[in-house]
Amino acid sequence: MYRLFLTLRYLRKRQIAFFAIAAIMLCTAMVLIVMSVMGGFLDTVKQRARGLLGDIIVDNKRFGGFPLYDEFIAEISKWPEIAKATPIIYTFGLLRFPSTGATHPVSVVGVRLDEVRNVSAFGAGLYYDRMYPGTTTLADQQQPLLGRSAASGIDLPEPYRSAGAAAHRAGVQDDDATPNIVNRLLHERGHPGIPGFYAANETPDGIGPPALAGVPSPGIIIGRDIVARRQPDGRYTRWYPRGEEVALTIVPTSLSGSIDTPKKLAFRYADDSRTGIFEIDSKHSYVDFENLQGLLLWDAAERADGSGRSPGRCSQIQIKIKPGVDADALCTRLTAAYRELPNRIGVALTTTEWGLVQDIEAVTWEQSQVHVIGPVENERNLVTMLFGIISIVAIVLVMCILYMIALQKTRDIGIVKSIGGSSVGVASIFLCYGAAVGVVGGAMGAGFGYIFVRHINDFQTILTDAFGWRVWDRSVYSFDDIPSTVRPEDLARIFLVAILASTFGAVAAAWRAGTMHPVEALRHE
Amino acid sequence: MSEAALLRAEGLHRSFQMGRGALTVLRECSLSVAAGEFVAIMGKSGCGKSTLLHVLGALDVPQRGQVWFERTPTFSTAQPRPQRSQFDDSFSGVERRMVELRRRAFGFVFQFYHLLPELNVLENVLLARMVGCSLFAWPGARAAANRDTHEILDRVGLAGRLSHRPAELSGGERQRVAIARALVHRPRVLFADEPTGNLDAETGSSILALLRGLHRDGQTIVMVTHDSGVAACADRVCELRDGAIASARV
Repeated sequence: MYRLFLTLRYLRKRQIAFFAIAAIMLCTAMVLIVMSVMGGFLDTVKQRARGLLGDIIVDNKRFGGFPLYDEFIAEISKWPEIAKATPIIYTFGLLRFPSTGATHPVSVVGVRLDEVRNVSAFGAGLYYDRMYPGTTTLADQQQPLLGRSAASGIDLPEPYRSAGAAAHRAGVQDDDATPNIVNRLLHERGHPGIPGFYAANETPDGIGPPALAGVPSPGIIIGRDIVARRQPDGRYTRWYPRGEEVALTIVPTSLSGSIDTPKKLAFRYADDSRTGIFEIDSKHSYVDFENLQGLLLWDAAERADGSGRSPGRCSQIQIKIKPGVDADALCTRLTAAYRELPNRIGVALTTTEWGLVQDIEAVTWEQSQVHVIGPVENERNLVTMLFGIISIVAIVLVMCILYMIALQKTRDIGIVKSIGGSSVGVASIFLCYGAAVGVVGGAMGAGFGYIFVRHINDFQTILTDAFGWRVWDRSVYSFDDIPSTVRPEDLARIFLVAILASTFGAVAAAWRAGTMHPVEALRHE
Repeated sequence: MSEAALLRAEGLHRSFQMGRGALTVLRECSLSVAAGEFVAIMGKSGCGKSTLLHVLGALDVPQRGQVWFERTPTFSTAQPRPQRSQFDDSFSGVERRMVELRRRAFGFVFQFYHLLPELNVLENVLLARMVGCSLFAWPGARAAANRDTHEILDRVGLAGRLSHRPAELSGGERQRVAIARALVHRPRVLFADEPTGNLDAETGSSILALLRGLHRDGQTIVMVTHDSGVAACADRVCELRDGAIASARV
C-alpha cells in the first residue's frame, strides 16, 4: 500500500516530475500526430489510387496489349465472384489546345465510360458530370455555348441547361471551382450560377442565344490539373472552356510494339477528372475505348500474311468483384483461365499473340499500385521511426529527473527501509513513479494529440488567417485538407509505449533506491 | 546470557572499509536485553553505538556473530552477508526476516527525526502501518490503523497537529512524531538513537519523560546516547569501549 501512497504523493508534491510528465506528453502527442497524419496520408493515397481501378487488374505489362479480352470478359461475367469487368487501353499522346497553343504530353486511356463507372470510382471524380448529370459522354458532341436568355439573362443550351438546373435543385454544390465573372454576375442578380467554364455564343450582333456549335467530335476527359489551376484554397480555376476542341496525337504500335505513323484526331473537352493524385491528374486523358483502339490499329483486322483475322487488343482488364470474395485466390484463377482461353474457345493465334496471352497476370489493385502506395508506406514507417528515436530524449529526461529525485530522496529511502520497506518494495516505488509519470504524461499527450489531429485543419486555418502562413499548400498537395486518421489501436499502442518507456526511464532510480543500504541512506547528507 | 532475553547478540563483529584500510567498530560484542527492559548504550562518539543499534535492530548485518530475537536469529548465517547492496537479499531471504522484524517487532527513533517532508504528521505515522499491509488488505485494515495512529498521536501530545508537515513543527514535536511512528505498529523493542541529541534540555527532558512513560507501560527500549544524564533514565547502562561492551551498571 505504501508504494502506491508514496508514488502518488511524490507525483503531486515533486514539481520536477511535471517536467518528466511534460516530456512524455509532448512525445506521445508528437508520435500520435505524426502517425495519424502519415497514416491519413497513406489512407488518402490508397483511397484515391483505388478510385481509378477495379478490385482486380488483368494485365500483361506489354506495350502491344493482349487479345481476346471480350471473350474473356464474357466468360468471367458468368462467374459468381465477378460483378463487372471492362477493358482499358493505355498509350501515350500529345494533347494540343488549339485556342491557346499549349501542348501537353499525356497518358491516353481508352475506356468504355458506362462500364468503367460500374467497375471503379472513376465517375465520381468527373466535375461536369456532377454539375450536369448525364451530359458527359465520349461520343461525338458539339460545344455548348452560353447565350442570352429571358429567364436569367444568360444560360446554356439544352440538355446542359436542364441537367444543371436538376443538379441545382438536388442541392449539388459547386465546391470545386473558383467562381468566375459570369457566376458572380448571376449571383448578384439572384440566379443560380453556371458551374464550370463555358465559351459565349459571340455573334457580330453581340451575344447570341445559347447554342451548340462546331462540328461533332468525340469527347475527351482530361485530367483536372491539365485544364485547371489549383488555388491555395483547394478550388480550381478552369482555363479551357467546355466543349472546345483539342487535338490528340498518338503513335500506333504493332503487336510486337513497333511504332507506326503518328495519328492526330480532334476531340472535344467533355469533362475533367480528378483522382486526387497529382501524378495522375496532371498526366492522364480519357477517350472512348473503341475510338482509341481504332487509332492505335489495335482493333480486329485481317492479318497482313492472310492467315486469318487478328483479334482486337486491350492493355488491361479491370474487374469489380463481389463482396467477401478472396481476391488473391481469384487472381490465381483468373490468370490461369486467361492463359488457357485460346485453347478453350478454339481460337488460332499467331506466336506473338500467344506470347501476349501467356504473359497475362491478374493482380489485386493494391499490388498494381505498389509503386504509389509503397513509398508512402515506407515514408510513414520511416517518419514514425525517426520520431520514435527522437522520443528517446524523453526517456533520458525521465531517467535524469527520476534519478535526481532518487538522489534527493536518499534519506527517505533509508526511512522507508527502517520502518519495514523492503529493497524490492522501495525500488518499486520508483518504478511505479515512472509508470505513473507515463500514465499521466501518456494520457495527456494522447488527449492533446487527438484534439490536435482532429482540429489540425482548423489550426491551419487560424495560422493562415493570422499570419498568412499555410503549411499544407493546396496548390502543391492534391488533397484539400491535411489528411489524418487516428486509429484506436495506434493510440493504445503509443500510450502503452509511453508507459513502458517512462517505466524504463525509472529503472536506474529504482536500482539505486533498491540497492541502497538503509544505514547509509539514513546517514546521507 | 539470560535464557529469558528478548534480544540477544553474541560475538558481533562489524568493520567498515575506509579507503584502503578497514575500520572495525564492533569486536566480539555481546549483549542481551530482557523483555520490558530499558537499556542505554553509552560510549564516545564513533565508538560504534549506532552500529550496534543498527545490527540489533536488523538494519545492518555484522560480518560475524549473530543476533537472536525471541530465540530466533534475525538473519541467516547460511547466506552470504551483504555489506552494501541489499537489493538481492530480498530474493535470497537474508533481508526477508530483517524486513519482517523492522515491520512488525522493532521501532526506530533517530536523532534527526527522519520524517518524510511531503507527508503530514498523520501520514508520517500511518505510513508505518501501511508498510506492513498490501494494497488489497489495506481497505480492511485502514480503520484500525487510523484508530491506532490517532491514539498514539494523542498519547505523544500531537492530536492537534495531525495535518501539519514536519517543516511546521518544532524539534521536540518532530521527535514525538518519530516516536509515534516507531510505536504505531506496537513493536516489541523500541530502538532510540540519541533521541534527545538534537533537542534543547527542556524538550529533551520531555522526550525522556515520554520514553520513561512508555517503559513503565512495559515497552522494551534500547537507547543509544553519549549523555550520562540521559542514560540515567535507563534500567541498565552498558558502556561500549573498543568495540565491545566493557561494563554494565544498573
